[in-house]
Amino acid sequence: MGLLSDPSISTHNKLVDSLAKHMRKLCYVFYTAGVAWFMCLALPEFNHGTYLSENALSPGLVYPEIRIDANRLALQLLEELQRERKDHQSTTPHAWIMAKFNEFGLETYTHNFTLRYPFGGGKEFHGKNVYGILRAPRIGSTEGLVFSAPYRPPSSVHDEITASVPVLLAFADFARRKNYWAKDLVFLVTEQEQLGMQAWLEAYHDGYKNYHSSSSYLVAGSLPARAGSLQAALNIEVQDLEVDYVDVKVEGLNGKLPNLDMFNLVQRIMAREGVTSGYKHAPRKRRRMNLSPYEQNLRQMLAMLATQATGVPNGNHGLFHRYRIDALTLSAAKRVTNSNVKSNPSSATVPLLKSIEGISRSLNNLLERFHQSFFFYVIVHNDRYISIGDYMPALVALIACSFVKAYLSWSTLDAAERHAQQDAAGNETDPVVFYTKLSLPYGFVLVYLVVTLVIGYMGNVLPLQKYLMELSIGAGPLTLTMLIALNVAGIALPFYVVLPPGGLELLHICMLLVYGCALIVIGLLNFSLGFLVAVLSVPMVVALNPSSTNGALRGLARLWALLLNPMVVIYTVVLVLTFYEFPELTFQQLLLRAVTAVMDAVTFALIDSVIYGNWLYFAACTVFFPLWIICWTLALAKQSDNEISQAKLKTN
Amino acid sequence: MLHKALLLVLAIIQINAAEYDTSILPEAYIDAAQHSTHTNNWAVLVDASRFWFNYRHVANVLSIYRSVKRLGIPDSQIILMIADDMACNARNPRPGQVYNNANQHINVYGDDVEVDYRGYEVTVENFVRLLTGRTQNGTARSKKLLSDAGSNVLIYLTGHGGDGFLKFQDSEEITSQELADGIQQMWEKKRYNELFFMVDTCQAASLYEKFTSPNVLAVASSLVGEDSLSHHVDPSIGVYMIDRYTYYALEFLEKVQPFSKRTIGEFLQVCPKRVCISTVGVRKDLYRRDPQKVPITDFFGAIRPTRVSTDRINVTLADEEDFYTDFDHMPPKKQFKIVIQPQFIAKINK
Repeated sequence: MGLLSDPSISTHNKLVDSLAKHMRKLCYVFYTAGVAWFMCLALPEFNHGTYLSENALSPGLVYPEIRIDANRLALQLLEELQRERKDHQSTTPHAWIMAKFNEFGLETYTHNFTLRYPFGGGKEFHGKNVYGILRAPRIGSTEGLVFSAPYRPPSSVHDEITASVPVLLAFADFARRKNYWAKDLVFLVTEQEQLGMQAWLEAYHDGYKNYHSSSSYLVAGSLPARAGSLQAALNIEVQDLEVDYVDVKVEGLNGKLPNLDMFNLVQRIMAREGVTSGYKHAPRKRRRMNLSPYEQNLRQMLAMLATQATGVPNGNHGLFHRYRIDALTLSAAKRVTNSNVKSNPSSATVPLLKSIEGISRSLNNLLERFHQSFFFYVIVHNDRYISIGDYMPALVALIACSFVKAYLSWSTLDAAERHAQQDAAGNETDPVVFYTKLSLPYGFVLVYLVVTLVIGYMGNVLPLQKYLMELSIGAGPLTLTMLIALNVAGIALPFYVVLPPGGLELLHICMLLVYGCALIVIGLLNFSLGFLVAVLSVPMVVALNPSSTNGALRGLARLWALLLNPMVVIYTVVLVLTFYEFPELTFQQLLLRAVTAVMDAVTFALIDSVIYGNWLYFAACTVFFPLWIICWTLALAKQSDNEISQAKLKTN
Repeated sequence: MLHKALLLVLAIIQINAAEYDTSILPEAYIDAAQHSTHTNNWAVLVDASRFWFNYRHVANVLSIYRSVKRLGIPDSQIILMIADDMACNARNPRPGQVYNNANQHINVYGDDVEVDYRGYEVTVENFVRLLTGRTQNGTARSKKLLSDAGSNVLIYLTGHGGDGFLKFQDSEEITSQELADGIQQMWEKKRYNELFFMVDTCQAASLYEKFTSPNVLAVASSLVGEDSLSHHVDPSIGVYMIDRYTYYALEFLEKVQPFSKRTIGEFLQVCPKRVCISTVGVRKDLYRRDPQKVPITDFFGAIRPTRVSTDRINVTLADEEDFYTDFDHMPPKKQFKIVIQPQFIAKINK
């Protein structure tokens, strides 16, 4: 009786053998099933209606008490702010904002931060946030809520959202007169887009730690006052006091999302106050497109995947998620002037203010952080969602291909070897002897894996070296040069390394296992990224077969592998985006512009990873690129080394 | 009047014989048994749930507290357990006040509310200790249920329940079996004469299912498998104000005066399914008397049955005539005249 660990026991039986014959078909069935499952999720039978899990929120049980005078105040403040903006073309009117906070009776503080921009010899940028705290009148300052509004100076390239600050101030003035706050309310005006928010959050949470540290790029300093543990945050971006619709943005850093309860809460309160709102809400005209509900749902899902996959937050709310604070952005779009709906300017903002009041009162009722509903979900429609349990099977089916292939390749490995040896040595010898003789170059393959990993990891480390950053070239060219150099190294590697016999098969199996594990982990952390990468790369990985002799298939696999090179993928994506952005350019101009855009993209990705902790760049360098090098090696591999091994055996 | 006096004597005899087969009880006893036999009243009012969004449970229990107090049970004989402080909750826009109705007529958390167990003192352990009289040494007198064999006890529970349990705080629950055991122990320790068990939670009827002790009348806001619902919201406070069953029970109790002739039977029907949405469950099989003939003040007030006697009554030794079982041949009693002096209260009640 043999032991299970006995290497002489054959790992293959009839079932495995017959499956191995149809390995590729089996994998494609899995792949198709995964993609089909994902497509099915857009059908109403496969997704669920949203509901509120958290009892404490009790949304809509209170009548809003904010009245038209708040709107009047907002209008007046907006006029004042517009006058201030004339004198502050590229800065924030801090003094005015502070004066208003003080006037409304808030504890007002400022927060200075410095960005030590490391590239091109180093530069320093300074910024200043203003915040006011409304202390809860009858309870200790143990918990807080944040209401934030980004401020953009007139010179900013982004959409104008000047009205956010007046709306925030009008709500602060209302809130200060109420006695029912059980949490401190923090009213925060940030500048420099996400940098200001990131600095404020860092200062709020780690201020005591990094007060003296000088190693980090963003010197956040510390805050003069805090408001306890922050429970939730609402970021407001208002383009104009006359609101057409509200787009609710949820995607945060690294694809993290706020609890689904918070999204549902906002949707419910907005509906109650009669504000048109929704996830990825588009203007009226575009909404009239004649799409079937299924297509709309699918578009919505893909749009969410695309936003989430980059890991870049699409609003200031996204940075809160890192500190386990549920947050989202209400992005109120301006009413277009030729709209049929005429609104009275003296009451135009009241519904929005009422919604903010309703949301804040529900958040005020929270007894602990959001924990009841989902943190991993895909929004299909404003009132329908897919939970993690429903969408993971799609990803798992895709990744199953790599594990199935790895298992079947492994269990037929000795069979292939045996056949080769039997051909060589005739049928006289006992096959058991050959099983024990079967030896694979584990050490060599391990070294090869480490080398590819090191090449990838260099991309993460090299651009940040002191001596390179002190060169007077910009961050863009520097990073791009580094990455291209590493890429060239990766592409060239297979030409210089000759794997020992059996190494290719073993490398193949290792690659499949590492690939499967990496995608599962990435898919759990950021489903969108994992899923998109899997959809693109799984067919290539399935098609790869180092021992195949089918020339056409090998050619296809090679081409596919080349197209999936991370740099090629980035360039293609940027090219397509550039084409949509600037359709007037000629093809040559387009290609050139895409190059500069790629340069910016990789630099921003690097800076994002350094300052905000976005791991997309890291994952691309350290996970995807090494895997790609291995795939490339396998795609280039020729049958020759197998022939060599057979020749060697023959000579024996 | 004489007849009544006789019956009372008979009732005393028959209580001693209560353990015999009830099917052959003489009619006279059946009638006699309908009379109130208690000497004092106690109330145990429990709100078992905490958190701001459970405001209504606190309003429930405070409303019942207000009613029993108005009907005459003194604070010293009411044990009030409230698991959370709604009046001083930071979210309460009316600090120090609790209302049971959106029109905010009555502040049920008035000036003279004595909460005996509050906040985290409201535990299953404390509740069971309270019922069974096994309080720890050093427990204040106000925190003890000092009832005796002559006490009518009202137990009112509200909170979040499920099939066979009632949740206390956010961490533990009392099961229907524990509750039944506690009440059985009360009976064995002669801590009650009659017990009225009233519970307003989801699946409330499951809580009285396991009772076996005699003289217990139980009413529950909903049957097993049903939810008990809240009545209405006060949008200025932003919470549900009161539960349906308690709301309609209070509507009834508010009209009851200390000398009212209203009966428990009427009280059991205060919340028909059409207004309550849940079905009110009643358990009468352990109860000796006909609820239609039991005044509501037997449980919700402190009106003791009194009789005026011009006879000498030996309160220490049993009379010889007490041992007669042959009612027909009982020697006739002496004629006597009862003079009822008109009293002030009688005038009011006219």
